[in-house]
Amino acid sequence: MSKLSVNVCGVTLKNPVIAASGTFGFGKEFNEIYDISLLGGISTKGLTLEPRLGNPTPRIAEGHGVILNAVGLQNPGVDVFLEEDLPFLRSKDIAVIANVAGRTLDDYAGICARLDGKADLIELNISCPNVKSGGMAFGIRPSSVEEVTRAAKSALSVTPLIVKLSPNVEDIAENARAAVRGGADCISLINTLTGMVIDLERRRPLLANNTGGVSGAGVKPVALRMTYEVCRAVDVPVIGMGGIACAEDALEFIVAGAAAVQVGTANFTDTLAMPKIIRGMDAWLDAHGIADVNELRGTLRLNG
Amino acid sequence: MQEITVRVLENAPLCTGVCKMIFELPAPVEGIACGKFVNISTGDGAHLLRRPIAVCEHTESTVTICYQIKGSGTQALSRVRAGDTLSCVLPLGNGFWLDEGERRVALIGGGVGIFPMLSVLSDYAGKGKHFDTYFGFRTKAAVCMEGRAKALSETLTVVTDDGSYGQKTNAVAAFFADAASAQADVILACGPLPMLRALKEGLAERGMRTPCYVSLEERMGCGIGACLVCVCKKQGAHVRVCKDGPVFAIGEVEL
Repeated sequence: MSKLSVNVCGVTLKNPVIAASGTFGFGKEFNEIYDISLLGGISTKGLTLEPRLGNPTPRIAEGHGVILNAVGLQNPGVDVFLEEDLPFLRSKDIAVIANVAGRTLDDYAGICARLDGKADLIELNISCPNVKSGGMAFGIRPSSVEEVTRAAKSALSVTPLIVKLSPNVEDIAENARAAVRGGADCISLINTLTGMVIDLERRRPLLANNTGGVSGAGVKPVALRMTYEVCRAVDVPVIGMGGIACAEDALEFIVAGAAAVQVGTANFTDTLAMPKIIRGMDAWLDAHGIADVNELRGTLRLNG
Repeated sequence: MQEITVRVLENAPLCTGVCKMIFELPAPVEGIACGKFVNISTGDGAHLLRRPIAVCEHTESTVTICYQIKGSGTQALSRVRAGDTLSCVLPLGNGFWLDEGERRVALIGGGVGIFPMLSVLSDYAGKGKHFDTYFGFRTKAAVCMEGRAKALSETLTVVTDDGSYGQKTNAVAAFFADAASAQADVILACGPLPMLRALKEGLAERGMRTPCYVSLEERMGCGIGACLVCVCKKQGAHVRVCKDGPVFAIGEVEL
């Protein structure tokens, strides 16, 4: 299936389909169902310097065509990942994207330094509260997007840096440009939209955290629009995600300009979602006489 | 565990608010056992999450699950008809198991928590165990599977919260009130959190050291251990109900 091969910042992916952070752990559980080597890549569960306990439960809720999650970055810490989980991922023929988060600029620089040269790519989760700016997420204002990207980039000498953008912003294209100014080698988007589900009888939010990140099929139109805007705004490669559940969804993101895609929530609906998407992309290209998926990239033509 | 498409053979109300579904496996699946669960699609397109439901009974070619209609997802599931197909991943979780030395077994089930207890009865019936079973329901209209439980247990006590059927008490109180409770080699339980808390406290108050295992319920994402949505607290750390559980020793988890 070489017609599906793509290149992201010098890293070759055998196909453009990457497991999205937080839905796939470190790959071990899904590998009990299918060999994860058939994926293009995996973006790991969000890693922090120290282990994190995460939020109380319930951590998940549902709306029409969407889910909300508020896991709160539960993870064993980067050192445990390097010792126990990375060797497993390295035994697989798969691009390893380490997704990282922090509370301070030093956290981001520190974790990037620990992972430099060990992961194929590093993906910055900038939707975390910035403790120094009163808890507002790093990813909201262009100035802090640029600042946190620069801090992470300064700690890296080998591994390319992806900045994962939050959609809960005024102008996503402006934030993408800010990330590139800060040194981003690649942009991924969208992270989840902030939402709430209310239990009417109890008159309380269903999630213990009150609010959570909305994802799933229902967010796809928003994600596609934002992916298109960002692809137009920056010259670095873009990884699109948000509601992808089938091959056609994935190909729409590529037509909008994405070099690769991530699949998250669909893994909950069907544990075989990603293998099916990969096979479906291959079949679609065959049916349309296209020899290389890269030929599709950015071919969207606007009306009028 | 494996991802499969199953064909529904039967899906009908069992008692007030609870449905029983029997589905057919396309081929035998290894490892289906008592206390494990399936994560099954709701059959409509609108729900992106599957529903984790305990195995109640199983054969080489079929699995029976019983579920409470609680929200729109289980409502959708209740509308599935015989002949329809659903996708699911199974078997999931660690399940219940009985060691050879654990001969006398107390089973305590509350509400839909009786179904995992029935799976234990089904798996271990005729294997030299002695079952003292205690089932609690809200009210008479919710009582179900009594005949099946009676056939497989040495003793069965059925009680209701409102006294409309059996004694007016709950399953945990019925267990402690029974002289046989002191003779149990092991206690297995499933039910609402307040019930499991009462069991934990009751054992502590009486200084009973009988090994006790409980099956926990939690809202789940993937169901296979990857997403860290369905956690509970075990010795200060968050562990996964779906993969590290759902069965835990009662002393090791915070309830």
